[in-house]
Amino acid sequence: MRRGSIASLLVIGIVAGGIAAAVALALPWLPTPASREAGRIDFTIWFVVVICIVIFSIVAAALIYSILTFRARPDDLEDGPPIHGHTGLEIVWTIIPTILVTAIGIVSAVVLSRDDALGKNVLRVNVTAQQFAWSFSYPEAKGLTSGTLMLPKGRSVQLVMHSKDVIHSFWVPEFGQKEDTVPGLTTTLHITPDRLGTFPVICTELCGLGHAVMRTQAVVMTPTAFAKWLKSQTAAVSSPNPSVSGAAVFKNNACGACHTLTAAGATGKVGPDLDKLPAYAAQAKQPLESFVQDSIVKPNAYIQPGYHPNVMPPTFGTSLSKPQLDALVQYLVSSSKKG
Amino acid sequence: MLTRAGWIRAAWMFCLFGAFGFGLVVVFRWWGGWHPIIDMPIVTLVSLLVAAPFGFLGGIGAFDYWVYYALGHPTRPEDHSGHGARSWKDYFRVNTDHKVIGVQYLTTTIFFFFAGGLLALLVRAELARPGMQFVDTQTYNGLFSVHASLMIFLFVIPAFAGLANFVVPLMLGAADMAFPRLNALSFWLLPIAGIMMLSSFLVPGGAFACGWTGYVPLCSTHEPLGAVFFNQGVQWAGASSIMTALNFLVTIITMRAPGMTFWRMPLLVWANFTTSLLVVVATPFIAGSQFFSMFDHVMHTAFFDPNNGGYALGYQHIFWFYSHPAVYIMMLPGFGIMSEVISVFSRKPVFGYRLMALSLMAIVVLGFSVWAHHMFVSGMASWLRVPMMITTLLIAVPTGIKVFSWLATLWEGKLHFRTPMLFALGFLSMFVIGGLSGVMLGSVPIDIHMSDTYFIVAHIHYVLFGGSVFTIFAGIYYWFPKITGRMYNERLGKLHFWLTFVGFNLTFFPMHILGTEGMPRRVADYAPKFAGLNMFISIASFGLGASSLIFLYNMITSWRSGEIAPSNPWRAMTLEWQVSSPPPIFNFDEIPQVVGSPYGYGMPGAQHAILAPARTGTPEEVAVT
Repeated sequence: MRRGSIASLLVIGIVAGGIAAAVALALPWLPTPASREAGRIDFTIWFVVVICIVIFSIVAAALIYSILTFRARPDDLEDGPPIHGHTGLEIVWTIIPTILVTAIGIVSAVVLSRDDALGKNVLRVNVTAQQFAWSFSYPEAKGLTSGTLMLPKGRSVQLVMHSKDVIHSFWVPEFGQKEDTVPGLTTTLHITPDRLGTFPVICTELCGLGHAVMRTQAVVMTPTAFAKWLKSQTAAVSSPNPSVSGAAVFKNNACGACHTLTAAGATGKVGPDLDKLPAYAAQAKQPLESFVQDSIVKPNAYIQPGYHPNVMPPTFGTSLSKPQLDALVQYLVSSSKKG
Repeated sequence: MLTRAGWIRAAWMFCLFGAFGFGLVVVFRWWGGWHPIIDMPIVTLVSLLVAAPFGFLGGIGAFDYWVYYALGHPTRPEDHSGHGARSWKDYFRVNTDHKVIGVQYLTTTIFFFFAGGLLALLVRAELARPGMQFVDTQTYNGLFSVHASLMIFLFVIPAFAGLANFVVPLMLGAADMAFPRLNALSFWLLPIAGIMMLSSFLVPGGAFACGWTGYVPLCSTHEPLGAVFFNQGVQWAGASSIMTALNFLVTIITMRAPGMTFWRMPLLVWANFTTSLLVVVATPFIAGSQFFSMFDHVMHTAFFDPNNGGYALGYQHIFWFYSHPAVYIMMLPGFGIMSEVISVFSRKPVFGYRLMALSLMAIVVLGFSVWAHHMFVSGMASWLRVPMMITTLLIAVPTGIKVFSWLATLWEGKLHFRTPMLFALGFLSMFVIGGLSGVMLGSVPIDIHMSDTYFIVAHIHYVLFGGSVFTIFAGIYYWFPKITGRMYNERLGKLHFWLTFVGFNLTFFPMHILGTEGMPRRVADYAPKFAGLNMFISIASFGLGASSLIFLYNMITSWRSGEIAPSNPWRAMTLEWQVSSPPPIFNFDEIPQVVGSPYGYGMPGAQHAILAPARTGTPEEVAVT
């Protein structure tokens, strides 16, 4: 080794590592965790990133130093020294990476088993994925389905997931955890929400032309608020005279993810603008109420020009009860007339 | 004219065989009582995607010798009229010269590089702003699916095969490959595959739009007819790949010049040897997965259809059992090219030659044990994740050995920053970044967050573009003088490198952040908060696309009127540089006698081989600037 090369290598390495560390720390890489699992995943990421920055700095140092120091003049026809190898060095750069990746493996395996371990008092939520919508149901509250995933903070949640058609994948970036939903199989995912808020539920497996818009929301609320929500929903469903709110049906089935409706504060752009329902019905030459009902239960029967068939799930006719469907139709008819 | 092997005969035999396939389907379905008798998916498959291409191949002459042999005709005297390039027309027919075939491969694959690149630019144009501006979501899904399929099956894999086709027999001191006729057939399978994939855009329902990974049931029972074009295109490309690999294995094992033990082979030969092992063992698995998927689609079988007892995840296991080794098929030849370029332009032996060869073998073996790291979130048996994580993390070790050995080769060398060397240095830095993001993804908890996001897209492109494509460029520039007999324009080469290096990093580095922050992949649209980064990436990508035009211009003008190249402009020691540029039609006047290592730089008097005096061209000592 040349004299002074070690010092130069160290300097270049520290500078390169410093730049890499600055990029790692200054940019907003990760969403703020909202689950214990995301917290552990973030820890694993940082553990591995530190190792990666060290390796990167070593490589950058060697590369940059060589480029600067060993550059030959174009007319220099000499060869370099015939160095064929160095057993000691080769052993070192075999053993050290092996140790490093072993460490990564151990940390990862521990985190994985902790993330998978269900806590006490597990809340089970059934997740159904279909082209192109999510629906969630709560066995604890019989018959309760929702288009939005409502969760209590601090409780161990087990998502039990199914798909009706193709492979989809459930992911909330703030929760970290992700798992595919596979037709013919039941898959599970464990989440322990630990921060209040509303977070996007994103489909992360290509599932067809509506893949990019197959989204809904996960809402983490306090355990008290969650219990109240469960009770109100269950009561609404199971009471002898359910006064079902059309607005609630609209919200719980995440209609606003794809449709605009001013009365509901919804701004979805995937499907037709529901403020314009009377105009659509006139265009289709159908009476408004039956037009609205058909559009919900048989979405492919009439496609509003400019939009695509096979995007809206055709299953609302079965997933909504008759009182829910009637309430929704009334709600849409009256809201669109105002708007 | 109509019956001579060539394009006219290929054209009418294409139609004839296609009609025969059509007739076959109709007759069978009528006889079996299956309705509708003309079932479009089955008819298209049998007639257009299987029978007609065989007609084309037969017409152009790829099977001529074997058909004559099988029919018992007296064998025609071997006049070598189908061997070697004496005019430009020789490149458009069935030619048995590995050097011609190599050029045919390279020009074809570069065409598909531009086709696939164009599709990528259309993708980036659509993603520049939120909302849909240019295409609908179905078309968009087709754009990225065909982009990836072309880049993988019609560019990276066969471009390496083409470069190796030209160089390896020369490096071994051989007159040609072991099976020159098989070699010619291997090439002609490739345009068939590429045209099949591209033409899926024209089919009713549009191009296959289920991603190049073709997951079922989306790609088997929920896709239009275009999906079958992918299923079959892969078969033709896969057949080409397997035949070439067999050819390389036999050539390398049996046709090395006397004195060339395995431990005196250049590392490019080691790399192609190990790659060929991967190809022959792994490729049949993707063939299988595509056959099953296609049968589910077209014949309503239930290999993967859960409604009828099939197992959807079975597809993924079979598919990835090939497709993970495939990424090593797409990288190992590049590693070989790097060893050649870095040692020559550092004027030093490759550091740690034996471990470099052994690490290639280790990657082959380990490479078969990691496939389910593509399935960590797939819902597969959860116990499988930790073993796959272990093997995945371990494969970083032989890869790291190679990176450190290249760095040690540079150390204390005499570095000359010609274009091939610039791409090699670019590769070292970019591949390390891609490899480190791969180590991150090897950890199951990290992968759970990152899977199917833009972080994966970033990783893929750092290893495939910053890795494989950079080595392909390095190899093309390095062997350009040998292949064409002319020097490429060095200033344009350097300009191409710098624009590509900068454009590449500006395009793909930000994708890491998009992924970690929550943007999924394969989406035609995204949440508005990602708009700024996406616009930035799209603009950068157009710069990257433009830089490749400089490469194309350099290649074309230099081949036509570049400075005449000496036989050894780089003063390299491997055998291909000891003959003229371009080499004589049968490579060597006499078989060389190998006496030492191909990397004897810095040892005065060291010789790799002793050659009979060549009739054309002499090795020159002057370095060309």
